[in-house]
Amino acid sequence: RAKEKERKKERDRKRRRNVARRASSARKEGKELEDRPGREERRGRKKRDKEGKGKGGEDERQEEVKNDTVAKTLKNFSNENTRKLEQKEIEVVGEEDGDTEEKRKNGRSEKGGKREDNGRGETVEKKQKKKRVETSAEHESSEEEEDEEEKVGEEKPEVLSPEELEKLKEEVDERKKLISTLRGKPWPMRKKLLTLRESHEFVEKYEGALGKGKSRKLYAYKVMMLKKWMKFQRDFENFKTACVPWEMKIKEIESHFGSSVASYFIFLRWMYGINMILFGLTFGLVMVPEALMGRPYGSMPRKTVPRADEANAMDFAVLWDFGGYAQYSVLFYGYYNSQRAIGWLKFRMPLSYFLVGVGTVAYSYMVVIRTMARNANEDGGGDNNSFNFSWKMFTSWDYLIGNPETADNKFASITTSFKEAILEEQESRKDDNIHLTRFLRVLANFLVLCCLAGSGYLIYFVVRRSQKFALEGLESHSWWERNEVNMVMSLLGMFCPMLFDVISALENYHPRIALQWQLGRIFALFLGNLYTFIIALMDEINLKREEEEVLKLNMTIWEASLYNGTLGVNSTAPPITVHPADIPRGPCWETMVGQEFVRLIVSDTMTTYITLLIGDFLRAVLVRFLNYCWCWDLEAGFPSYSEFDVSGNVLGLIFNQGMIWMGAFYAPCLPALNVLRLHVSMYLQCWAVMCCNVPQERVFKASGSNNFYMAMLLVILFLSTLPAIYTIVTIPPSFDCGPFSGKSRMFDVIQETLESDFPAWFGKVFSYASNPGLVLPFLLLMVLAIYYLQSTSKSYKQANLELKKKLQTQNEENKKKTKMAALKAAMDLEEAQKAWSEAPRQQRNNNASQQSYTGEKNTVTGHLVSSFVFVWYLKI
Amino acid sequence: GNLLSLTLAFLPLVLTFIIRYRYYFVLFYRAVLVRMWYDCTTGLSREERAFQYVLTHAIPGDPESILETFDLWCSKVEFISNIGPKKGKIMDRILSEHCPLTVLELGSHCGYSTVRIARALPLGARLYSVEMDAINAAIAEKIIRLAGFDDDTVELIVSPSDEVIPRLRADYGLERLDFVFMDHWKKCYRPDLQALEGSGLLGKGSVVLADNVLFPGAPNFLRHVRKSGLYEWKIHRATLEYSKGIRDGMAELVYQGIK
Repeated sequence: RAKEKERKKERDRKRRRNVARRASSARKEGKELEDRPGREERRGRKKRDKEGKGKGGEDERQEEVKNDTVAKTLKNFSNENTRKLEQKEIEVVGEEDGDTEEKRKNGRSEKGGKREDNGRGETVEKKQKKKRVETSAEHESSEEEEDEEEKVGEEKPEVLSPEELEKLKEEVDERKKLISTLRGKPWPMRKKLLTLRESHEFVEKYEGALGKGKSRKLYAYKVMMLKKWMKFQRDFENFKTACVPWEMKIKEIESHFGSSVASYFIFLRWMYGINMILFGLTFGLVMVPEALMGRPYGSMPRKTVPRADEANAMDFAVLWDFGGYAQYSVLFYGYYNSQRAIGWLKFRMPLSYFLVGVGTVAYSYMVVIRTMARNANEDGGGDNNSFNFSWKMFTSWDYLIGNPETADNKFASITTSFKEAILEEQESRKDDNIHLTRFLRVLANFLVLCCLAGSGYLIYFVVRRSQKFALEGLESHSWWERNEVNMVMSLLGMFCPMLFDVISALENYHPRIALQWQLGRIFALFLGNLYTFIIALMDEINLKREEEEVLKLNMTIWEASLYNGTLGVNSTAPPITVHPADIPRGPCWETMVGQEFVRLIVSDTMTTYITLLIGDFLRAVLVRFLNYCWCWDLEAGFPSYSEFDVSGNVLGLIFNQGMIWMGAFYAPCLPALNVLRLHVSMYLQCWAVMCCNVPQERVFKASGSNNFYMAMLLVILFLSTLPAIYTIVTIPPSFDCGPFSGKSRMFDVIQETLESDFPAWFGKVFSYASNPGLVLPFLLLMVLAIYYLQSTSKSYKQANLELKKKLQTQNEENKKKTKMAALKAAMDLEEAQKAWSEAPRQQRNNNASQQSYTGEKNTVTGHLVSSFVFVWYLKI
Repeated sequence: GNLLSLTLAFLPLVLTFIIRYRYYFVLFYRAVLVRMWYDCTTGLSREERAFQYVLTHAIPGDPESILETFDLWCSKVEFISNIGPKKGKIMDRILSEHCPLTVLELGSHCGYSTVRIARALPLGARLYSVEMDAINAAIAEKIIRLAGFDDDTVELIVSPSDEVIPRLRADYGLERLDFVFMDHWKKCYRPDLQALEGSGLLGKGSVVLADNVLFPGAPNFLRHVRKSGLYEWKIHRATLEYSKGIRDGMAELVYQGIK
C-alpha cells in the first residue's frame, strides 16, 4: 500500500514536473500519454503549446486565454467576411447560405456549451488548480478547433480594438454601398436578392456594434426610428395612390386596353379636377351668396315667374327645358340682382359675378398652358427618324398591358408595324404607287370637306327654322321641333365621325397619324357646328334686343297708365303695389343664351349616354347571347363588339368643356352640371369599356398625343372665350335682369368698385396705369421678353441636339475602336494559332537537324538541345 | 316635311353603314338575289347551272382546268361557297406537308374541294367524300369523274355526316384518318368533331381542316377546340372565297391525343 502511495505521489510529482517541463519546452506529450485521461489528451494535444505559454499566473493566463479567444473569434469573423465576399463573387446558392446559417447556429450553441464548461472548470479550480487550467484551456482550444471555421463575431463589441472597429466600420460601409448600387449590377435577379438580404442582415447586426454604451443605444433608437419613418413613408405613398380618384380603375383599363384608351380616362379625370375648381368658384362665390343673402324669390320681377307662365311653371317638360322655376333661380344670369352689396357681409355681388366669370377663364388658361409646358418638357425633343428599327425593337412593347387578349393584339400590331416599317423602307426607295396614295388622300379630304359643308348647312338650316318657330311661339310646336337644333347637332356629332372613320380607310395612314387626322376632322366638324350655333344665337340676341327696345317704350306707357288709372279712381288711397309677377319685363337675352347652352349640354350628355347604352351595351348583349342561335359567328364576324373610340370621346369631352367655358358666364349652374356629367360618365364609361368593348385591333401607345389633346383644348378655350368676351364687351346688358342691369356695359362694374370702394388715390393710380401710354410700353416689354425667352430656349434646344449628335459620334468612334481592338486581338490569336500549329513541325525539323548533328557527336548535347527546343516550344 | 332635317342627320350613319359593310351587301346580292333571279328564269338549281357551265367550258380529265372554270363562274357569274383559290392554296400546302393516305371530306357540295384534295393526294391515297344532299352528290359525282378520278381514289358517300362517322370503321374498314376536311353545315362542325374523337379514327398527327370558321363562323367548334386541349391549332386568316373584304379563316387542328 505504501508502495502504492509512493507510486501515486511519484506519479503526481512526475506530472507536475512534466507540466513544468512542458511550460519550458513544448511537445512532450508522448510520455504522459498513460497518465492522463485519454479523451482530454486527445482533445488537448494539438494546442498544448499554446496553453503552456501562459503558465505563470492564474489570472494572467485567464486573461490571456480570453484575449486569445477574442482575437481568434475576430479573426474568424474577418475570415468569414472574406469568405462571404468570395461567396458573393462566385454565385452563391441558397443551400450554401443555409449551411452557413446552420454552422452559425452550431457555433452559438457550442459557445454556450463552452461557457458552461468554463463554469464547471472554475468550480474544479479550487481543488486542482493546474489541472483546471489545463482542462479549461483544453476546452477552449478544443472548442476553437472545432468551430474554427464557423465562428461568427458574437462576442461583446466592447472588447474590439480600434483597428477592428475601423475594419468593421469599413465593412459595414462597404455593405451599405453595395446595397445602394446593387440595382445597377449586372447580376441575375436571384443573386441580387440574396446579396441584398445578406447585406441587410450584416448591416443590421454590426451597425449597432459601432457605437458605444449610451451612443449605441441612441444609435439603435435612431435606426429604429429611421425604419419606422421609411415604413410610414411607404405607407403614405400607398395611401396617396389610393387617394387619387379612380386610379385603380384606370390602371385596370390600361392593362386591358393599352395606354391609348387609358389616356382618355386620365384626361377625363384631369378635366374633372379642373371642373371641380370652376364649380367651387361659381358655387361658392356666386350661387350660394345670392341664394343666402340676396333678396328672396318673388321679391322683384326678375326673381318671379311671370303671370302668364305661372300655370305650368312646375311642369316637368318646362323644367326639363330649363324654363319656369328653373329659369327664375340662381341657375341663370337673369335672377341675380344688381344691388351693389348684399347681406350683412356687404358682399359685392355684381363684382363677384364678373370676377368669377373672368377668373374661371383665366384659371383655365393657366392650367392648360402649364400642363402643356410640363408635357413639352417631358418630351425632350430630338429626331425620331434615326434608329427607327431600334426604337421599334426595344420600345414598342406596352408594359402596362396585363390582359392576354390585348397582349396578343399588341404582339400582332408590333409585328405588322415591323412589316410596315420594312415595306416603307423599301418603298421609300422606289415610290411607284405614291400617286395613287396621294390621289386617295386628296379624295378622302375632299369627301370629308363635303361632309363638313353638308353638316354645317344642315345646322344652319335647322337654326333658321327654329328661329321661325320661336317667332311663331314655341307652344304651338312639338317637342321634336323645339329640340331640333340640339338633336341635329348631337346626331351629326355622333354619326359624322363614323363616316370620317370609314373615309379615312382610304388614306392608309399609320394608326397614330390616322388618329390625329381623325381628331382634326372631328375638331373641324364640332367647331363648325358650334360656331353655326353661336352665329344663330347672335342673331337671336339681336332679335331679343330689338324686342327689349320696344318693351322699354311700352314700359313707360304702362307705368303712366298705371299711375293715371290709380290717380283717376282714388287719389287718397296709398299707391297700389303691383305684384312682381304682373310687371312686364324684358326678354333678358343673357338668360336665353344660358338656357341654350344648358339645353345643349344636357342633350349632348343624354345622346352620349344613350349611344353608350345602345351602341355598346345593347350590341354587346345581343352579340353575346344571340351568338348561341345565330347562323354566323356574331362575335368574330359582322357586328362584333365595339372598340373604344378614343378620338371621338376625347373630342366630345373637349367640346363639352368649350361649351362650359362659353356658357358659364350666363348660366352659373353649368360647371355644376358638367361636374355631374363627368362624374357619371367616368363610372359609366369605365363600366362600359370593361364590359362591352374589345381591345383595339391595332393597339398603339399614346404617349405623344397627350399634348395634342392639350393643344386642342387650348384652341377650344381660345375659341370659346372669343364669343363670350365679344358679347360682354360689345352688347349692353339687359335693363331689368342680371347683376349688371342699369349699366351701359358689363365691365363698368370694375370702374364702379374702384370709385366707391377704394380710396381716391387708388382710382387715380389705376387710371394712370391703364393709360395707353403706360400699357403699350408694358405690352411691348412683354413681347420682347417672350421673344427673348423663346430664342434662348431655341438655342438651348439646338445645343441639346448638338450634344446628342456629339454623343452619337463619340459612340460610333468608340464602337470603331473596340472593333479595331477586337480585330487586332483576333489577328493576334490567329498568328498565335498559326505559330502553335507550326511549332511542332519546327520542333520536328529542329530535332531532325539536331539529331543528325548530334548523332555524329554525342547524345548529351543532343539531349541538351532537345530540352532547349522544348523550353522554346513552351515559351511559344 | 318637318322631320326632314332629322332624317338628314341620320344620313352619315346610313352612309357609314353602307360603306363599311359594302362587301356584305355585295355578297347578299350575289348569293341571294342573283340566285333567286336565275332560279326563276332558268328553272335549274344553282349547282346544275354551275355543272353545265363547267361541262361546256372546262377540259375533261384536267382537274386544273375544272377548278379554274369553277373559280371563273363563281367570281363572275354567280356565287357558290366553295373553298376558293386563295384558301385552296393554303389547303394544298397543308396537304403537301402531311401527305395523307386516308382523307375524309365532310360536305363535298358540287365537288370543287373534292377535286382539289384528290389532285394533291399522293399515289395510293383514298378520299372519302360525304355529301348529304342527293342532287348535289350526283353533280359532285359527275364533276369528280369529269376530272378523271376513279372510284379507287374518291369514294362518294351520300348520307348525313353524323350518320356516316360512326359507321366509318365498320362499313369502310378505316383504321385511321390522316386528314379531315370540314366544309358542310357550320353547326355540325362541333358534333362531327366530337364524333370523330369518339370513334377513335383520329390518331396522333391527324389533321382536321375546317373552312369558314370566322364567316359564317363556327364559334362553338372553336370553343370546343380551345377547351378540349386535344389539338394543336391555328387559324389561317384569309378572306371569304370570291370576295375581298370579308374576313374569314380556316382552322387547322393537329390531333395530339390525351396527354
